[in-house]
Amino acid sequence: MLSIYFGDMKDAIYHPPTYFDNTYEDNWITDPLSVEMIKDVDKSEVVGPNLIQSTVLGPIPPKALSGGVKTLMLFKFDETGKVFNASACGNNCAKWILKIADSKDLTINLRHIMDFGNGDFNIKILNTDIVVKNMCELADVAGEYV
Amino acid sequence: MRGKHRVVVQNNKLHYEFEIKRNITIIQGDSATGKTTLIEMITQFQNLGASSGIEVICDVPCRTISGIDWKLILNNTHDSIVFLDEENSFINTKEFADIVSGSDNYFVIITRENLYSLPYSVEEIYGLRASGKYQNTNRIYQDFYNIYSTTQENPVEPEVVITEDSKSGCDFFTAVCEEKGKKCISADGKSNLFRLVKEKEGEEICVIADGAAIGPEMNRLYEQVRKNPKLKLYLPESFEWIILKSGIVGGKKVDDILAHPEDFIESQFFFSWERYFEKLLIEQTEGMYLQYKKAKLNAAYLHDKNKRAILSVLGEGNLII
Repeated sequence: MLSIYFGDMKDAIYHPPTYFDNTYEDNWITDPLSVEMIKDVDKSEVVGPNLIQSTVLGPIPPKALSGGVKTLMLFKFDETGKVFNASACGNNCAKWILKIADSKDLTINLRHIMDFGNGDFNIKILNTDIVVKNMCELADVAGEYV
Repeated sequence: MRGKHRVVVQNNKLHYEFEIKRNITIIQGDSATGKTTLIEMITQFQNLGASSGIEVICDVPCRTISGIDWKLILNNTHDSIVFLDEENSFINTKEFADIVSGSDNYFVIITRENLYSLPYSVEEIYGLRASGKYQNTNRIYQDFYNIYSTTQENPVEPEVVITEDSKSGCDFFTAVCEEKGKKCISADGKSNLFRLVKEKEGEEICVIADGAAIGPEMNRLYEQVRKNPKLKLYLPESFEWIILKSGIVGGKKVDDILAHPEDFIESQFFFSWERYFEKLLIEQTEGMYLQYKKAKLNAAYLHDKNKRAILSVLGEGNLII
């Protein structure tokens, strides 16, 4: 299940892309979910653990991936228990956050109201300890904190 | 700094082109649209100049700032466009806002956070998008688009008007609404708009707020608009701008200013444009029967001819009260 803490969170990693650059493992890049996320968000193809083919930039290393995709991979693979600032992710990452949270308990920090789309979901808002089921409910609560 | 500045940043693969015309510009939007790449290119050009292989074309210096020495660097940077990437957590501090408020620099800030200490305009919140190839090259052309549309296509006739303002602007709209049997409520500040709008869900509401500084509120207000089709936002620069635009004061000089305010508004002296329009209106009406005071509306603005002129500006924005 996805849990979100809205607003300033003292111990959260504020800039996950930098954290990713210094902690990622090669096998994160070639994992099937990462391959899919990189294709969808960055419009790029994973060639190998150290090479991604970008439609705009040509061949690039993992460190040149978008901040959004790097943050998604931390959500999926980081096992330190750290909470990451998901405001490094655009709305085009929202569906992937929900997907990752389908298979694990994921806690994220948000400093803006992310658009999780028109579908139903279960997201626990840690500020109030309530579960919201759609964007209308989420926006009403989140607006009090960010 | 004042004026509109065209910025071109390019290498052999990318061509960014946009204009900056206010002290604060925000870039946000989807991931993987080239925001960080833009910052990296400006940084490389800043460090290596033409030998970086990057071209930055602008009539003022463009530079990036990051890291713990940001205050030191900012205090020694003048008449420049300063770009900040989202890694800089200091952007939401009061200390940073204080520096921006008296700065002769323009700031372009990449962030999805709502920076409540900074009064940025709804019109200066942009996303980046690829718009095909640049001319006959292989470069991808990257330009800005407005995240929030400020034009209302269909006329809006609200039952309830909520003003951000509690002073002259609220006095004006309260008087007009009373005549029409409608309700006007003051939010007593933009930070109260969200809660008030939430409470009024289901009613035909129009929020009238200063577009020049409403930027930080837009994320949560826009979500309310999405869930409530009866809620509309009318976001002119400010109430004083509406009066100036109506033509009842000023003349050619004011018309010239309103046509391109950026050439007249010095960032060092005006944290946001609505403060400039307030000063301009006070100056323009000094000693006249239309003498303007922010604290309480001069009743002359409610005289039929003046009132109609002011309301016609709203009508151009498709708001009918």
